[in-house]
Amino acid sequence: MSGAVALPAPRGAAGLRRAAPVLMGLGRLVLGLGIAAAVWEGAVLGFGIRPEYLPRLSAILSTIAATPEAYAAGFLRTALETLIGFAAGVAVGVLNGVLFLRAPVLRDMLFPVFVVSQTIPVIAFGALVVLWFGNTLLAKAVIAFYLTFFPVTVNTLVGLQSVDPRQMALLRSFGATGRQVLLRLLLPSALPQIFVALRLGASLSLVGAIVGEWFGDTTGLGVILLQAMYTEQVTVMWAAILCAAVLGTGFYALVALAERYLVFWGAEA
Amino acid sequence: MRGVLGAVLIVLLWEGSARGFALPSYTLPAVSEILGGIWAQRADLLSGGATTLLEALLGYGLGTAIGIALATVITILPWSRTGIMPVVMAVNSVPVAAYSPLVLLWFGIGVSSKIVMVTLAVGFTVFLSALAGFDRVDRRSVDLLRSFGAGQASVLWRLRLPAAMPLIAAGMRVATVRSLIVAIVTEMLGARSGLGWIIYQAVVQIDFVQVWAAIFVASAISLAFFGLIGWVERKVIFWR
Repeated sequence: MSGAVALPAPRGAAGLRRAAPVLMGLGRLVLGLGIAAAVWEGAVLGFGIRPEYLPRLSAILSTIAATPEAYAAGFLRTALETLIGFAAGVAVGVLNGVLFLRAPVLRDMLFPVFVVSQTIPVIAFGALVVLWFGNTLLAKAVIAFYLTFFPVTVNTLVGLQSVDPRQMALLRSFGATGRQVLLRLLLPSALPQIFVALRLGASLSLVGAIVGEWFGDTTGLGVILLQAMYTEQVTVMWAAILCAAVLGTGFYALVALAERYLVFWGAEA
Repeated sequence: MRGVLGAVLIVLLWEGSARGFALPSYTLPAVSEILGGIWAQRADLLSGGATTLLEALLGYGLGTAIGIALATVITILPWSRTGIMPVVMAVNSVPVAAYSPLVLLWFGIGVSSKIVMVTLAVGFTVFLSALAGFDRVDRRSVDLLRSFGAGQASVLWRLRLPAAMPLIAAGMRVATVRSLIVAIVTEMLGARSGLGWIIYQAVVQIDFVQVWAAIFVASAISLAFFGLIGWVERKVIFWR
């Protein structure tokens, strides 16, 4: 925020001044969305695009409005699967990173296996995971987890390893215990790197949840997509895609917001 | 060396627990059983793998070309950025897999729908990394070259491209795995052949050894592709 030059302002305006950029951003977002909607609507009407390719935005929205419960239920279900898988993936990923830092033997043995495991078309496992865990919410969360934990592991390890050894030595010389070094120095230093992985994981876990639903379920955005494909209802399909976009963007924005607050020193280039 | 040891240990552990606990094949078939399954189904897996690889390679080639071309256009013609970027971002905000059913409806269940999906997935990955690469060039270096009379094209060729190469290569490496995943996922929804189709059919027929066999073959192809691109990357970007 180098452009935000602090202007002399009365004390009471401080809160307003802090809120102003947020409001401006929101305003710009709404304006952008409005323009996008207008362009979409106009392009479909103007170029005469047939509805089996791209229906008008208003048609899609009215489809959602016709049965809002179905979309809301699907949205919530998919969001829950994504969140559980993401949270578990982040927890295991960070733990793995710390473990690998403490036990290099384990790292050398398991890391290549992890790398190989990620070149496996994970989704192919979907069918197996659904079999193992039954047709439950948990099965989809496991797929989302599998996609998330690896990037988090890698970036946690990279972040932890890039800590200046002299800072470690300094803390040690003050008598800090291993846990204190970890909580006060190592993890905070690795946080910017970890957040890079979290942003990636946010998108990946949503893909995992949606694809996981294709292996059989009754609610969820993936289910709506699949059923619309079988019945060739393109408008319903676009409605589900729109919901997925809102979910994906919202989740990504949440992670980015958390990053702004937690990594307030702004280490990301 | 330790990595090989780790892999061997895991395979032994897998084989041992599958045999030792006499796990049924729907839980976890033994590795030897899966390898036997691959050998028994080698003709099907070979033709399926060939189809999937063809889709992935064609889509990968197209996606890489389109991604880099689009990033180049935006860099050479800065005014086009405001028009192109919002559209790209809007399309990219949807998880790629969500487009699969739509593309399947548009392009049918043949090979072309898979190529389109792979192109889409690879194109975005490469485009975003190429653009990040072109953009990270130092402003002053650009000004210096411009002051010597270099045009946008020349700046791109002599300065931006070499600087962007490591990022483009990283994007291309990630895209290898993604291309196979997307091809397989789309095949699972509907296809006439391919590994994804084999997996889907095996699931329906409750033949889990065959599911695992197809996963093994897919992983081998994916690893080989990943290794190949990594090798090319080390040859091309020698200055790294």
